Amino acid sequence: MFVLVVGGGKVGYYLTKELIQSGHEVVLMEKDRARADQIRDEIGSVVMHQDGCEGKYLRQAGANRADIVAAVTGDDEDNLVICQMAKHHFDVPRTIARVNNPKNERLFRHLGVDEIISPTRMILGSIEQDIPVNELLHLAALGVGELEIIEAHIQEGSPGIGRMASTLTMPIGSSLFGLIREGVPMRVGPDTVLAEGDKVIAIGHPDCEADLRRQLIGEHVEA
Amino acid sequence: MAESTAPQFKRAVVALSGGRTDRPIVALAAEVAKASKAELIGVHVVEIDWTQPLDADVAGRSESAQRVLDIAEATAEAARYRLESVLLQARDVGAALVDEAVERGADMMIVGLPFRRRFGGDFAIGATIPYILKNAPCAVWVVREAMPEEQA
Repeated sequence: MFVLVVGGGKVGYYLTKELIQSGHEVVLMEKDRARADQIRDEIGSVVMHQDGCEGKYLRQAGANRADIVAAVTGDDEDNLVICQMAKHHFDVPRTIARVNNPKNERLFRHLGVDEIISPTRMILGSIEQDIPVNELLHLAALGVGELEIIEAHIQEGSPGIGRMASTLTMPIGSSLFGLIREGVPMRVGPDTVLAEGDKVIAIGHPDCEADLRRQLIGEHVEA
Repeated sequence: MAESTAPQFKRAVVALSGGRTDRPIVALAAEVAKASKAELIGVHVVEIDWTQPLDADVAGRSESAQRVLDIAEATAEAARYRLESVLLQARDVGAALVDEAVERGADMMIVGLPFRRRFGGDFAIGATIPYILKNAPCAVWVVREAMPEEQA
């Protein structure tokens, strides 16, 4: 497989090394000359000192025959431009982008980036598993990330306490599908009454998060 | 008796660029190799850019690449010495030459350097020779052509 990696930071560097070790054909594009030279000294002539945001350099790097373009620079705008050009000018079958600001994820998806890797989101998710940063935990992304599974921890003062699930005004595009009460998983039916300590599992579009929070946790605990 | 100051080697890779330095360096290599009956391997590398797969049939179909080897062989023959010619295709000329030297167990690499100036007047050494000087494990003999009279 021929993989074009754009961005010679830590991610791009280790990604390139791993891909080479796995026997793939790889080109790494890095626009900073000193960094490109440094990596070239270590891993050889697969490094191009060029700006991957420019179409002519992407062409020189072989984007026309790449199976995958992975844009892993530290700049979301650059990563988006690289994936867009790879997809639309060079018909690259699969584009992967690193997204540093989680708020950009939706835009990337909307503009057709095939796969989005958000280190910020992943670390946040990992932290939230142990520390309820904002009492609404992101458990997983579904499909290409258009839906999320969220866990809401119902605590004292939550507007959801004592209410039947059917009386909650769930935002469009979201649904409650389970809860964990005293460690026991349960299905949420229309008659299920929420209680303090429940962990409610919802599925929904990322845009529904604010409404879900209002319904289940309340405004006062906004992190 | 004074010791010979000519470079001594048993097997040398002669880098053939296809340029005007090829004939002089092959002739020189042949003369020096005679003394120790060293083996000469002339290597010409066709660089394949990333738009094509490395195994694309480029070098084999290239008449100019074949001509480079023919000229080198003929030059060695004229000096009454044998030169084995090798045609490679690679992403990077310097890396391919170094790899070939390592693979062949060469103890010398002979490289020609045309005298060129960049726009602005600075001497241009290119990227291949610095790479070889930095990475070749064997001795490297760089033969720079004479400076043109008007620039001397």
